[in-house]
Amino acid sequence: MKTFLRILAGLVIIGVVALLAFIFVPVQRTEPAQALAADWEPAEGQGEYVLDAADCVACHTSDDGERLAGGRAIASPMGTIWSTNITPDPETGIGEWSYADFRAAMVDGLEPDGTHLYPAMPYENYRLMSEEDIRALYDYLMTEVEPVSNEVQETELSFPFNLRFGIRAWNWLALTHGPGFTPADVPELQQRGQYLVEGPGHCAACHSPRSKFMSQDGVTADEENFLAGGVIDGWNAPALRGEGSDLAKWSVGEVAAYLATGRNAHSTANGEMGLVVEHSLQKLTDEDVLAMAAFLKGVDGDAVDLPESFAAAGPTSLEAAEADETGSATAEMLASADPDMPLGARLYMDNCIGCHFATGKGAPEMFPELQGNSMVVGSETMPLISVILNGVEVPSTAKRPMSLRMQGYGERLSDDEVAELVTWLRGAWGNDAPAVSPADVAKVREAGEAH
Amino acid sequence: MARQEKKKDVVIVGLGWTGSIAGIELAQEGLDIVALERGHDQNTVPNFEYPQQIDELKYGVRLKMMQKPSQQTVTVRRNGGETALPYRQLGSFLPGNGVGGAGTHWNGLNWRPQEVELRLRSYVEETFGADIIPEGMNLGDYPVSYDELEPFFTQFEKVAGISGYAGNLNGEIREGGNPFEGWRSEDFPMPPMPTTYDSSKFRDAAAAMGYHPFPASAGIASTSYVNPYGMQMGPCNFCGFCERFGCYQYSKSSPQTTILGALKRYPNFEYRTQSEVLRVELAEDGQTATGVTYWDEAAQEEVFQPADIVILSSYQLNNVHLMLLSGLGEVYDPLTGEGTLGKNYAYQMNGGISMFFKDEEFNPFVGHGANGICIDDFSISQNDFGAEGFIGGSYWRSGTFNGQPIRNMPLPAGTPAWGAGWKQAIGETYGHAMSIGSHGSHMAYANNHLDLDPTYTDRHGRPLMRMTFNWQDNDLRMNQFMKSKMEPLAASMNPDSMRAGFKGPGAEYDVRPYQTTHNTGGHIMSENAREGAVNRYCQSWKAHNVFAMGAGNFVQNTQYNPTGLVGGLAYHTVNAIRTQYLSNPRPLV
Amino acid sequence: MTDLPGYPSRRNFLKASAAGVALSGLAAQAKAQETTPPVPLEDYDRAYLNADEWAFVMAATARLIPSEGDGPGAIETRVPVFIDLQLAGDYGSADDWYMEGPHVPDAEPARGWQTPLNPAEIYRKAIPVFNAWCEQTHGAAFAELEAETQDAALTALQDGDVALDPEIRDFFSILLANTKEGYFADPQYGGNHEMQSWVYIGFPGARAAYRAWPERHNEKYPLGPVSISGERA
Repeated sequence: MKTFLRILAGLVIIGVVALLAFIFVPVQRTEPAQALAADWEPAEGQGEYVLDAADCVACHTSDDGERLAGGRAIASPMGTIWSTNITPDPETGIGEWSYADFRAAMVDGLEPDGTHLYPAMPYENYRLMSEEDIRALYDYLMTEVEPVSNEVQETELSFPFNLRFGIRAWNWLALTHGPGFTPADVPELQQRGQYLVEGPGHCAACHSPRSKFMSQDGVTADEENFLAGGVIDGWNAPALRGEGSDLAKWSVGEVAAYLATGRNAHSTANGEMGLVVEHSLQKLTDEDVLAMAAFLKGVDGDAVDLPESFAAAGPTSLEAAEADETGSATAEMLASADPDMPLGARLYMDNCIGCHFATGKGAPEMFPELQGNSMVVGSETMPLISVILNGVEVPSTAKRPMSLRMQGYGERLSDDEVAELVTWLRGAWGNDAPAVSPADVAKVREAGEAH
Repeated sequence: MARQEKKKDVVIVGLGWTGSIAGIELAQEGLDIVALERGHDQNTVPNFEYPQQIDELKYGVRLKMMQKPSQQTVTVRRNGGETALPYRQLGSFLPGNGVGGAGTHWNGLNWRPQEVELRLRSYVEETFGADIIPEGMNLGDYPVSYDELEPFFTQFEKVAGISGYAGNLNGEIREGGNPFEGWRSEDFPMPPMPTTYDSSKFRDAAAAMGYHPFPASAGIASTSYVNPYGMQMGPCNFCGFCERFGCYQYSKSSPQTTILGALKRYPNFEYRTQSEVLRVELAEDGQTATGVTYWDEAAQEEVFQPADIVILSSYQLNNVHLMLLSGLGEVYDPLTGEGTLGKNYAYQMNGGISMFFKDEEFNPFVGHGANGICIDDFSISQNDFGAEGFIGGSYWRSGTFNGQPIRNMPLPAGTPAWGAGWKQAIGETYGHAMSIGSHGSHMAYANNHLDLDPTYTDRHGRPLMRMTFNWQDNDLRMNQFMKSKMEPLAASMNPDSMRAGFKGPGAEYDVRPYQTTHNTGGHIMSENAREGAVNRYCQSWKAHNVFAMGAGNFVQNTQYNPTGLVGGLAYHTVNAIRTQYLSNPRPLV
Repeated sequence: MTDLPGYPSRRNFLKASAAGVALSGLAAQAKAQETTPPVPLEDYDRAYLNADEWAFVMAATARLIPSEGDGPGAIETRVPVFIDLQLAGDYGSADDWYMEGPHVPDAEPARGWQTPLNPAEIYRKAIPVFNAWCEQTHGAAFAELEAETQDAALTALQDGDVALDPEIRDFFSILLANTKEGYFADPQYGGNHEMQSWVYIGFPGARAAYRAWPERHNEKYPLGPVSISGERA
């Protein structure tokens, strides 16, 4: 017994020492595999391009704030995280940061004083970026961005998430890859796409599932669950691979058009993805967009047929699709305008059929298909309900400058009616997803236009 | 003292169709541009959104998309002996308001003129002799030919997204198209719209009589469409709310659907709404304009906007008004024929027949503004002016356009206007009627002209423009000719009854019922400075850095809806500015 | 059966409802929409019209679109409410029109609106004149007359047989136009109650989406209307 207690005491002491070390011993920064030459300089525009590709603006700019001056509230399961000011202001921004400091943030998730960043900052992905890109981004932020004095609200999460040292342990579990990028054995264009998708594009942050520890389950292309679909803040970030995914049905050109313009023959980007298109993807070169599309199409090893162009300027006339076999019964019922149709269908006739048509196929590049639409049949019903209540906008992009807006129906439809309509949509044209209740609708209505 | 804004390369007056075209084409040149728009800003959503837009009372009857006469209007008299009275309440014509202008609330009927319409005087003289031209008719040739304009018609149609089927493709006449149209270098950007029941009946009846039916040329998308600026239209769903309404469906060709989104992305372009231009300012020597003065509604003050180039792209009536107020030419005197501003105001001569079939279903609410099957067998190029005793022609069209019951409730002759009989009749008739329309030319006359009113003023204290206008025998005879040809065709369809509406001899202009918003002329194009206000590039003869867009340039009106010619001329003008004027600003003729 | 002005025709109400059900079949299909019944016309809180004017408008619209026969009348569709609200709004005050002088109210009709009065003022001035004419000619104010006499009086007004100053000479045509507007306009403006006029004629109201229909030739579109607010019939 005595021996046992002695051993136990010993273990406790060792544990306490380990814990203290864990908390107080500074974390080592990862050194670059290959340092850049002393006289290395980024190409003209490279840094800003990396900024766009990495979509830094999305988080580091608040709705009414100066560009990159931080202060955007980012909802996380642990509480609200406030994005930081990354303009070169010495007091409130990163003006005092050395390149090594900046690199540590991008690769190891560390602030200059060793404090761990919350992984809302996707260093899980950014650590795959090339040394050149990180350096170019640093140079751009330090020399081309105007300093903005903006003291950002401190992130204050509740216990235990306020104990940032916990992230050290989390990082042991999460950062199992990199730093640096490992190209797959695919043609060069797809390798470029892989780099953009895995690294700066940080697509896995939303489109890969999360592990038990909330880390990305699938950060690189060699992992099984890479881009297999995730759920973020009540949104389905659909699977970008595998049978039944939208991408499996789309051509490379259609994927590229979706990325560059937020719209293609089948679907439109809205919500978070709309913002990614608006702030990031539309600014990439055609070649890079095509590279990403090609990589995504080939991620399961399928043949990749490259189009000559995508989202070209017109004149182009694109016929709306007819109903297919699965959807024909619904389409015929709607087209008949039969007064005996069920209420959900009647609500579709009175509110939706104008643009999405009896076929449920919508119209190419304008009105998204509802048949099989990942938002319509997704596990998360909030986005679809929100679109119906509050409307939605596909942003203006360089190649498709029309901002496409759908108006909301919150005033015209009651919670009961929206529930009837959504339930009907989730079963129409061969869709097969469970019903929603008026209470589900009420919840989204209360949340208002936050989404 | 007016506030002065920073000088721009180009100031655009009015951001409708032609202002948008000038904006985007000149923005591509890198010029610093400001567009001044009298009205409000508007976009498909929220301004035209479903279901709020589907409101016949608000937009169809109370005309809430239109220019308010309280803000701007004209006075009207029918001859020089009458005192002109204000057009106080909108009726006969409906100028638009706000960004997009009349391009937001039109029907989408997009036509090219016939080749002979642009050289009508020469055609008449060569074919029938000059002596058939009536006294007082200012019959003229346009100073540009169809062949010169053809590439610009094509360009506009690609931008505007027009649905149809070419009947004359590079000289080859194609079955199912309009054999009498001017040649097209390319087919329409989109296939024609589907055919409704009334159109199909008309098509069959017309074909049986040996006529040549073809689908209307529609600024309505039959498919999804992407235009050369990357702008988009969605397929029309026959909602039946085109004319007087903005399109909630992104289906109607408009500056909003085809240009503005792309234009607004240019950092060198800006536009200011609630900015009503009061006059164009001329340099001391009067040879050029220095810019424009406008009323800033928000600041409640006058503002001078200096610019190197002034584009007048407001509605035809407002363009002429501005030119009159600014001294951009001499005022036309109908007695002497001297002067050019206000000359050759013209309109449109229309008629039609309603037919009632109590056992047939037309679903009149299933339609769109440019719906239908047409014939051009009685068009300007087909009529024997010498034999028939008039100069002119029309195209005919049949197709449901709206079933809005306040305004569109044709009833058989003899139906009471109210009471039990009326109520019975609407129940029995609604949905069981169809119509054929005749859309006819209107010539220019010395007696029909525009100048400034001596009595009435607008809210800025400026004289209202005065319209002197009445129907003339030539066009009324043309209309009666159409009636005589249309009645047998309508009768051949065996309706239970029919009711014709064609103005006849002695008809006088009535400003109350809606007729058409195809007001033309007033700053007409001409070969020389004596005959018109602008040259073949729509460049002011008076001040070479002023270009006037729109139907004010029409020498006389064509038999068609004017937008296609307005669009073609706009592209022709901006092309001249881009390729000839910018490098060396000067009179181009 | 004679309908009393101000009182909906029960017969007609039942008929309209039955027609609605037959047309749309929705009674069995769709959940009943929760609607609060509107205040009865006699309790309606007027926005512009005074009591005499209201009595006139009720009585006159009830003859212009009577309740008897097929289809709803002006009373069941609450046209008087529509007219009252329109006159109280920017239509009544002619906000959008050019109303500067000088005015020439006796100009030929083809010259358009030339009276200095706005629509609300025309109702206010014309109703007492017409009521006085009715008193003089038929022995009572318009609203008190028998339906047949009312019809005769309205015909006289329509035909210009009632002496009206030029400023108010267009009263009948304005009243008739407003009555039809109220009958057919979207219910949000107070008339066309429960979209009865749309159901009657077969207009689907604010649906405005018929892509499957242009090529369904000579086939009646069967589905009942929807209003801007989403009301179904």
